[in-house]
Amino acid sequence: MNNKIPNFVKTNQFGLLILVIVFICIFSFSTDGFTSRFNIYALSRVVALDIMIGLAMMVVILTGGLNLSLGALGVSAAMFGGWCMESMGIPISITIILVLAFGSFLGWINGFVTVRTGVHSFIVTLATMSIYFGFMTLLTEAEAFRKLPEAFTDFGSLKLFNKYISPLLIISVLTCFVLYYIFKYTDIGRKLIAAGANPDAAELSGISVDRMFIYCHMLSGFLAALAGIMLTARIGAAIPSMAGHLGFDWLLPAFLAPVLGGTLLSGGKVTVFGTMLGAILVTLINNGLYLIDVGEFWVRFFLGIILLGAVLLDRAREYFTVKNSIVS
Amino acid sequence: MSALLKKDWFGLGLVLIFGSILISLFKPAFISPFNLYVLMLSVSLMLVVAMSQMIIIAIGQMNLSVGAIGGLVAISFTGLMEVYSMSILPAVLIGLLIGLACGFINGYITVKTGISAFIITLATLYIFKGMNLGITEAQPFYEIPEAVKFFGNAKIFGPIPYLVVIPIIITVLMWILMNRTSLGRYMLAYGNNVQSSELIGISSTKIVIYAHVISGLLAAIGGMLVVCRLQLGTPNIGDSWLLPSFAAPVIGGAILAGGKVDVIATAFGVILVSIISQALVIFKIDPFFVQIFLGFMILLAVFINRYREFREERRTKVFSDE
Repeated sequence: MNNKIPNFVKTNQFGLLILVIVFICIFSFSTDGFTSRFNIYALSRVVALDIMIGLAMMVVILTGGLNLSLGALGVSAAMFGGWCMESMGIPISITIILVLAFGSFLGWINGFVTVRTGVHSFIVTLATMSIYFGFMTLLTEAEAFRKLPEAFTDFGSLKLFNKYISPLLIISVLTCFVLYYIFKYTDIGRKLIAAGANPDAAELSGISVDRMFIYCHMLSGFLAALAGIMLTARIGAAIPSMAGHLGFDWLLPAFLAPVLGGTLLSGGKVTVFGTMLGAILVTLINNGLYLIDVGEFWVRFFLGIILLGAVLLDRAREYFTVKNSIVS
Repeated sequence: MSALLKKDWFGLGLVLIFGSILISLFKPAFISPFNLYVLMLSVSLMLVVAMSQMIIIAIGQMNLSVGAIGGLVAISFTGLMEVYSMSILPAVLIGLLIGLACGFINGYITVKTGISAFIITLATLYIFKGMNLGITEAQPFYEIPEAVKFFGNAKIFGPIPYLVVIPIIITVLMWILMNRTSLGRYMLAYGNNVQSSELIGISSTKIVIYAHVISGLLAAIGGMLVVCRLQLGTPNIGDSWLLPSFAAPVIGGAILAGGKVDVIATAFGVILVSIISQALVIFKIDPFFVQIFLGFMILLAVFINRYREFREERRTKVFSDE
């Protein structure tokens, strides 16, 4: 190995960091409003959610699986929260605990069915996606909960740090640190990674892989529910269509952030801060595209192109690092 | 007879026949000509979409962009006829070409980079859908030639619509492809085990690209058939294809890891899903239940497949002991 280059420079995160800085420079110079207080605040609210969604997907990708039901699950949990607060009059703190428990339970269903049938979680969560979303629409009759406690909605529009940053972003960043700690330093976190990296070897060394996979799905449900609460606080209401039909609007950011961040789709590798950077990059580009005025209908097209470009770039980086390490 | 019992489509066929008899006993309206006509329309459209996904499942991959390709072709097809007043045949050909090109892009990038088709087709899903929205600005095209409208509405005789002809031809061709041609067998071999299929000299590049091109072509045909049916080209054609496109092959016993698909069982899967959706409507059940039901159907199919695999394993174990 070439010792002159520090290891950090070779990582995916470093490449992402450079890209984030480059895009910030491009947008600050080429558009007017990018660095305005209003825009940075708006960005912080959006990026908070994208990070959380990305993390929720990341923990399932760790198992080598996918969670298509993410959006449907998050919205179902958020609607449950809206019902608790508006119709039942349950206090905010208890509601949040209930919602997180509910999200974890829905995640448990995903994990349980996946493990017990041995079918790829893609198909299981495709099915549960339509089940969760269907039940949610049926039970709420597609009506929103708009009369939420003021303390709750005020939190979503709070402005911190000289009115630049939303508190939602702080929740997401804190979650990143907690997850990083869990995966890096706790017994259970190492077991989760081991189960994802090589299920057979993990099983032989006494780890219950099935249980670990169910934990991953529960964690995903938990984080998706948290994202649902955050979105509710941001909008100020719990709306059935807030993540699009079947929760599809969440899927692209959910995959973009971990994939850009260097999470392997085959499982066994998590990059918490990579996912965070990935989410930041996506939000930046999305925001920048609107400011540059490419036309709102073309934003999706460019997002697709950027996803494609990013995975290709990552492929190239991998290819060159492998080649370099062979040469030296 | 026992060979027949082992077929994936046999059990499904029985379910279909008994299910239909049962439903029509309770609600005679189910076999009214109008209802049969509606049923056949929905079956024929979904058949093409399911085949488009099935061929990708056969090689052990997924194509999330099926609906996006269908939508892009649908609006190109109608746009060419309305804005450029092109006649039908060249518009159809260009539509097919677009589908072919989209499929080729999916297949080429997937096989050349080795990145999972899931990610590639997720990206192209956004690219194709973005082009669709960019071109149309979310506005539908309404001016469709009379001949196209006629094709989408007319009946051959009785309740049988013209629209079923193309899907039936496609199903037959797909059956021939998967069961009687070396290309189809190679695709299954590739889906079953990439390494060994390469070792026996099957070109991965060729197989993956062919599968994606066929998938793109079928999605294109699906998109144009929906245009005929709806009598207009709206940008949201294809948005709701994802779930049913996987449902039918999975209910038909396809294994998502690749290497095993059954064309007839997939077709039966489509019919089953359509009949159930229709029955729920006839019994006046909330349309949102249809979605929940579809989800449960997939889970049920998954459990049944798992159980059959389990029995198969046990049987082979007994044989190896002897």
